[in-house]
Amino acid sequence: MLTANSHKMTSKSLFSQVLIFVFYLLLQIFFVRQLVLFDYAFCFVYVASIILLPFEINKITLILLGFVAGITVDIFYNTVGANAAAMTLIAFLRPNVIDILTPQRGYDERQTLSLNSMGLSWFITYAASLIFIHHFVLFLLEASDWGLFLPVIAKVICSTIFTTTIVVIIQFFRRD
Amino acid sequence: MYQLVQFISRQRAFILFAFLEVLSLWLFYSYNNYPNAIFFNTSNYYAAKALGTSNSIREYSNLKGVNTELASENSRLNELIAKLQAQQLDKSIVNYKADSSVASRFKFVVAKVSNLTTTQFNNYITIDKGSADGLAPGMGVMSSTGVVGKIKSCSEHFSVVISILHSEYSVSAKLKSNNEIGSVKWKGVNPDVVEMTEVSRYKTVKIKDTVVTSDFNYVFPPNIIIGYVKKVGVKPDQTFHEIDVQLATNFHTLAYVYVINNKLLSEQKALEEKSGDVKAK
Repeated sequence: MLTANSHKMTSKSLFSQVLIFVFYLLLQIFFVRQLVLFDYAFCFVYVASIILLPFEINKITLILLGFVAGITVDIFYNTVGANAAAMTLIAFLRPNVIDILTPQRGYDERQTLSLNSMGLSWFITYAASLIFIHHFVLFLLEASDWGLFLPVIAKVICSTIFTTTIVVIIQFFRRD
Repeated sequence: MYQLVQFISRQRAFILFAFLEVLSLWLFYSYNNYPNAIFFNTSNYYAAKALGTSNSIREYSNLKGVNTELASENSRLNELIAKLQAQQLDKSIVNYKADSSVASRFKFVVAKVSNLTTTQFNNYITIDKGSADGLAPGMGVMSSTGVVGKIKSCSEHFSVVISILHSEYSVSAKLKSNNEIGSVKWKGVNPDVVEMTEVSRYKTVKIKDTVVTSDFNYVFPPNIIIGYVKKVGVKPDQTFHEIDVQLATNFHTLAYVYVINNKLLSEQKALEEKSGDVKAK
């Protein structure tokens, strides 16, 4: 009876994971596509679809999901391959970033990957590092001209702050 | 053999990562060389349809602006008709009469914008007409207010346009007051301003002068407005002016565009290529 119960739990959480993943992609494509502050700060909130997957996810699935999310957004931005490359990279690096950020006492068994469970400072450091890597790769690929290096850096920094803020704000509205 | 299998199985995450990363970069760098690779961009039927629907909301809120633009275009066209009729009457250029097929070589197709960006380094616009309406890659695109860009790829019912806000696209242009020829290109950051180069620093350039498409242009008819001179400067040690041009078209609210089909383009190009060959020999 115990096993049946826990099995039910996982399939339910799997379903909600899929919903969250799709939610961030739709949010990106239909709502924040035109959202730009001062010509420099862009919002790529869909990066959260990879950032917020649970700790225990298998690495292969993670990389595949990263690629899928990236290429989907690419189709709507006409930037074939750029988002896919950036997302595959952060999906691959995510386990290493989590390792580096291990608290001194190690991760608690019951902790889940969310703002509530991990605390604000851990969550922001974690999200901002992955978002920074993503934006850096994306904008550098798109610029394709070293003359644009300074605007690129400015865009990367402003956008990292912007995206991280939005991701954190959405986390505050989560019920779990 | 067993060790190889073991190695692959241990490193499978890295191998998958490397494979997908190379695939993405290959797609990214080869995309620009294949104008007909339409699956991965917004001329993909489903992507364009979805964006068109979400765009219709934005469009509704812009209706007022669109109406004013259309009204002003009507008045401009009426003026033009009047002017042309006047010219016909006084026949100012003696002995020159344009061949009727040359005079009417440009055909216009109206299309609706279903997606656009203005804030990337390379901006594209998706429109809702495609090869079924006679559109083809390379055709020019303008709005009621001025130059917009050039078609990059077409599917049956949609096309992707390279906007003038694209880091690798330039348009041959001239200054209206003194016919100085130059070329106009985007600098990559501000979506309202482009840069005009190749105008000699020894010529005078007036602020607020109109910049229009030149006569040496395959895709655009001459004298289509690009923008207005905003700032003139000369870099030290340079022979050219550095001119900032305020774009005439507001890309943020672009709703309808005209695709320009130059019916004699292939004839002109074929002739020029042929004569180029003769010279080479």
